[in-house]
Amino acid sequence: MQRLVYRYALLTRLAHWFGAIAVAVLISSGLQIFNAAPYLDAADRSTPTRRVLSIDSPADGVGQTTLFGHTFTTTGFLGWGSDGVGGATARAFPGWLTIPAYQDLADGRRWHFFFAWVASLAWLAWLISSALKGNLAEMVLRPSDLPKLWPMQAYYLRLRREPPPHGTYNPLQKAAYTFVLLVLAPLIVLTGLALSPGIDAIAHPLTVLFGGRQFARLWHFLAMLLFVGFAIVHIVQVATQGFFNQMRSMISGWYRLRENESVGP
Amino acid sequence: MKRRLFIASSIAAALGGCAPIGTALNDNPGFHHFLGLEGSLDAALLGNTAGLARQYSLADISKHFPVDSLPTPTSTKYEAFLENGFRSYTLAVAGAVERPLQISLARLERMAQQTQITRHDCVEGWSAIGAWTGVPLREVLRLAGPRRDARYVVFRCMDRDDQGTPYYESLDMAQAYHPQTILALQLNGRPIQPDHGAPVRLRVPTQLGYKSAKWVAEIQVVGSFAHLYGGKGGYWEDQGYEWYAGI
Repeated sequence: MQRLVYRYALLTRLAHWFGAIAVAVLISSGLQIFNAAPYLDAADRSTPTRRVLSIDSPADGVGQTTLFGHTFTTTGFLGWGSDGVGGATARAFPGWLTIPAYQDLADGRRWHFFFAWVASLAWLAWLISSALKGNLAEMVLRPSDLPKLWPMQAYYLRLRREPPPHGTYNPLQKAAYTFVLLVLAPLIVLTGLALSPGIDAIAHPLTVLFGGRQFARLWHFLAMLLFVGFAIVHIVQVATQGFFNQMRSMISGWYRLRENESVGP
Repeated sequence: MKRRLFIASSIAAALGGCAPIGTALNDNPGFHHFLGLEGSLDAALLGNTAGLARQYSLADISKHFPVDSLPTPTSTKYEAFLENGFRSYTLAVAGAVERPLQISLARLERMAQQTQITRHDCVEGWSAIGAWTGVPLREVLRLAGPRRDARYVVFRCMDRDDQGTPYYESLDMAQAYHPQTILALQLNGRPIQPDHGAPVRLRVPTQLGYKSAKWVAEIQVVGSFAHLYGGKGGYWEDQGYEWYAGI
């Protein structure tokens, strides 16, 4: 028995796509901004002795990445790569990953700060619409979901024939969405704000909370990596768990239930 | 297999399209201007907040304070300043003021000094902490008496880029009167060294480093900066950076 259910409200779908575009722009313009000072320090002010990551070019044609004091040659990708206008140059992240493709800090900042508003407003729209429609309650991970996390993972690993019984969202989805939307998203906004001297002047505790400006830059970067990790898993899941059905549901709202799925909790 | 290939290639196309589409939009003047409107929103929200930059202790001072600006001036005028220890230097205060001034370095040194140990945040992403000592800008402005039509304070500097374009910056009156906006004469207890902006460097700890202009020669009070150089109120602003540099 297969039937269509109306799963996503219009505001949720709009929030998803605006949010997805904004996150993609924020990541690539953020890498553009990173390129202007391609290192991260676990300190308030720049401190080479507390450098966690640095990406540089020790010589023409060579790129290297140093992580916790271990140096790797990353020529062609990190440190030495595409200059965005057809050539190669000394550059932390290559042109095909940044907006704009060529190195331009001023324009990278324009994109980043504009789309930070888009992402924040999309997040707020999602929070309000899903709270009103009840999706939020279905999505938030609860203590009762914890024992179901491993059985769900076992199902994905083909160690188990059936997923554990669940509502609209399975336990792993709940864990991922709860972490990304309710923990990571606020964290990435706050660590970003903590980088700003104007915000620091009116809200010292925020910058202090993250260990200072350079430390906040490190947390901001790590939060971005977690976002990228989520996006990869999310896209693989969408691609392998009924791509057309998933895409239709996030575009039109209508989702075709599969055999082992129920409408809600 | 065809279906999988289609799915994989459509995802790859969507992701790979980000940078080229973004670059094309970036090169569109209308879209570029539209993105820049966000800077005006920041200026409206944060530009005149009264918060104070955080003060640090002596132990927090950076061992090495980077030099990351246009090159130290090489003009004969600046060479002469270096030779006589800036005794012939005067800071001009001009424009929309009741009493235009020429203030010698000795006079600036005799005025009440403020020392602030604050963090300098560069737009590129690095930060350094220094102890800056100097005269609050508002005390100098009070001596000159800005007229009623005064809206901005422009700082004309002695450094030039390789095209010969001089450095300049600007603040609005509220930012200029901020208690931590100072004309710094010393860094870490010593007269500011030539590469850090000797003899007078503006220090605006509530905004990014490009506002803290080095080698200040003249303070010009104006009603508008639209007629100056690129018209955006600063050397870096003319190259696309935000006029309000608090973000």
